[in-house]
Amino acid sequence: MVTCTGCGLLCDDIEVVVENGKIKETRNACRRGAARMRGCMNRLSPSVNQKPSDIKNCIRKAADILRNARSPMLFGWSNSTCEAQLKGIQLARKLNAAIDDTSSFCQGILIEKVLQKKFRTCSLEDIRDKADVLVYWGSDAQDSLPRHLSRFSYFPRGESRQRGYEEDRIAIAIDVRESNTAKICKGHFYRIPLKGDWDFILALMDALSGKVPSYDSKKMLELASIMKKAEFGAIFLGIGLTYSIKEDFDILQKLADMLPNINIMPMVGPYNMRGFNEALFKETSFVNRVKFDGKASHDSSYSIVEALRNKSIDTLLIVGSDPLSSLPRSAISHLANIPIICIDPCVTLTSRIASVTIPCAYSGVENGGSAVRMDGKVVELTKILTTNFPSDEEILTRLTEAL
Amino acid sequence: MPIDVGKFLKSPEYEIKITTYRDIFQVEALERDRFGEEYRKLSACIMMGRNDLKKMGLKAGDRVRVSNNCGSVVVEVKETKREEPGGLAFMVNSPWSNALVSGDTGGKGIPEFKNINAKVSLVKDEVTTLESLIGIFRK
Amino acid sequence: MVTVMELYQLLPRTNCKLCGEATCMAFAVGLLSRKKNISECTPLLEENFKKQKEILESLLLPTKGAEETGMIVHPELCTGCGNCVVACPVDVANDPHGAGIGRAPTNDKVIFKVVEGKVVASNIKECRRFGKNRVLCYACIDPCPVGAIEFV
Repeated sequence: MVTCTGCGLLCDDIEVVVENGKIKETRNACRRGAARMRGCMNRLSPSVNQKPSDIKNCIRKAADILRNARSPMLFGWSNSTCEAQLKGIQLARKLNAAIDDTSSFCQGILIEKVLQKKFRTCSLEDIRDKADVLVYWGSDAQDSLPRHLSRFSYFPRGESRQRGYEEDRIAIAIDVRESNTAKICKGHFYRIPLKGDWDFILALMDALSGKVPSYDSKKMLELASIMKKAEFGAIFLGIGLTYSIKEDFDILQKLADMLPNINIMPMVGPYNMRGFNEALFKETSFVNRVKFDGKASHDSSYSIVEALRNKSIDTLLIVGSDPLSSLPRSAISHLANIPIICIDPCVTLTSRIASVTIPCAYSGVENGGSAVRMDGKVVELTKILTTNFPSDEEILTRLTEAL
Repeated sequence: MPIDVGKFLKSPEYEIKITTYRDIFQVEALERDRFGEEYRKLSACIMMGRNDLKKMGLKAGDRVRVSNNCGSVVVEVKETKREEPGGLAFMVNSPWSNALVSGDTGGKGIPEFKNINAKVSLVKDEVTTLESLIGIFRK
Repeated sequence: MVTVMELYQLLPRTNCKLCGEATCMAFAVGLLSRKKNISECTPLLEENFKKQKEILESLLLPTKGAEETGMIVHPELCTGCGNCVVACPVDVANDPHGAGIGRAPTNDKVIFKVVEGKVVASNIKECRRFGKNRVLCYACIDPCPVGAIEFV
């Protein structure tokens, strides 16, 4: 049995058949997980200024760039082991650098509230064993965390939910799009207009407090009644919701306070985004967007998007992420002006414009370590294949030494 | 030689709102080869409901230019297999959709990935290549 | 998976119409969709087609179960989410501490497994749509958001 690093569920019941140093077949992993374990076609090769090099020279060159940087940022981290993330935070401290991860434009804000204990939350096993009401809000779990419904939330027979999903559980989807998850929630799909989450929350809060909701009152009263009657419920918050109400998350807290039997759980896509958030939170009490300078300061100007927009960084070290692919083009023109160091198992859009590229092993396939599941459980990763590529942790260690 | 009248007629432009989403088949293609044909095919497209397509005189397989003041891409039209309320199109999260997302976050650091205003018009141009999306960043 | 052409190549290709179809190609389509049986092609029963008949039988054997329960799995649509693995009442009964609680199946008695990120059905005879006490069960179809499982 090995652990899959395809998404934030970190499924640990995967079987693999290894033949001639390659994974020949995966069992029990979903389509997304199987793809992650098969790996990419284009492995990254070491290069300096677009010219082939060796890893030793690349690390030396990367150290030179970082040594000369006045305001470097270290970015990525959600596809690295906890051990590599710690090394990254130490390196940021040593360099007085800014550090940020992909949660900065994703679920960081919600994970921070969970870590600050502002939401009542629980484990995925609790949900499997006890949950009777499940709300997927702005989250297409079926496509992003494909085994969420089958392993934990809707379909399994849990300790106190023995009669199967049809009788023991109610699944509800609130979404702008009729996603695959919404399809499963058939009778309980609440389709909202774009940016409609805010009004929906207000209407739901009205319904919960006995007022007539201003918005779709019949359906809102029905939903409020299901949620009130829940013995043990969960609201899974997806990025659809996060992006929609990014102005003010206090309203979610108010909603949660009205629902004492319902737990709040942010959905986490990348396999170890929560690991990075927890590690940085432990060290600085912030989950992302930190600048070290003897102390640790936190500000939205230290987010990857704002730092690139404001052109406030002069060097970017990226570990396991592809900002050129995942960020708005109109925000990232600064990438063309600054030296970029890419540590990644694969060629990415960003690695194609990087000054230094350093290939690393596939974590969870070619090197072990640990990671934090979307609900906070620490899961051990497995080294399945041997490789000549160093792990990102090892590269960061050698880079720190070279400095 | 007959005059190609169509050449001189600019296709009408339609205002549309776009929201981005994730698709497991596209993520699978991304894991395998983000420069590959499969990833491009599953990424460089815009999904619209039957009624919206009809209104705009478009059909599945057409190519459209989607543009706003952030950028412009040519992608393939696909029809959603579901009933849609109308006025809303879907693009899977990718470099193509990111060409249209505003970088202005009001200082908050979270771009409007899911709320894009753009204009759509039928074109004969080829689908925007990944290379051309990377091009301007080369040093 | 076997194709219509492969089946067609193994037929007598005389368009004799004895099976009730207008052409051998139409009969091949019928075979593939399990609407026709090999035995309906009487010329195939003759000695000189013995070899071809055996090959046809071997090609159609893996779907024999599907013929009787009518189950067809479309791996190209499947996301490998495992909803069917966990929701199937036969899987729950045969593997209560594995598939039944959402984990990977722990034995080979289950009907559904996920291999290479896609569902594979076996032990079809265990399906509740099969046998003397068959029921019209939808437990694997309803939880599938992509229509990867159907019964014909």
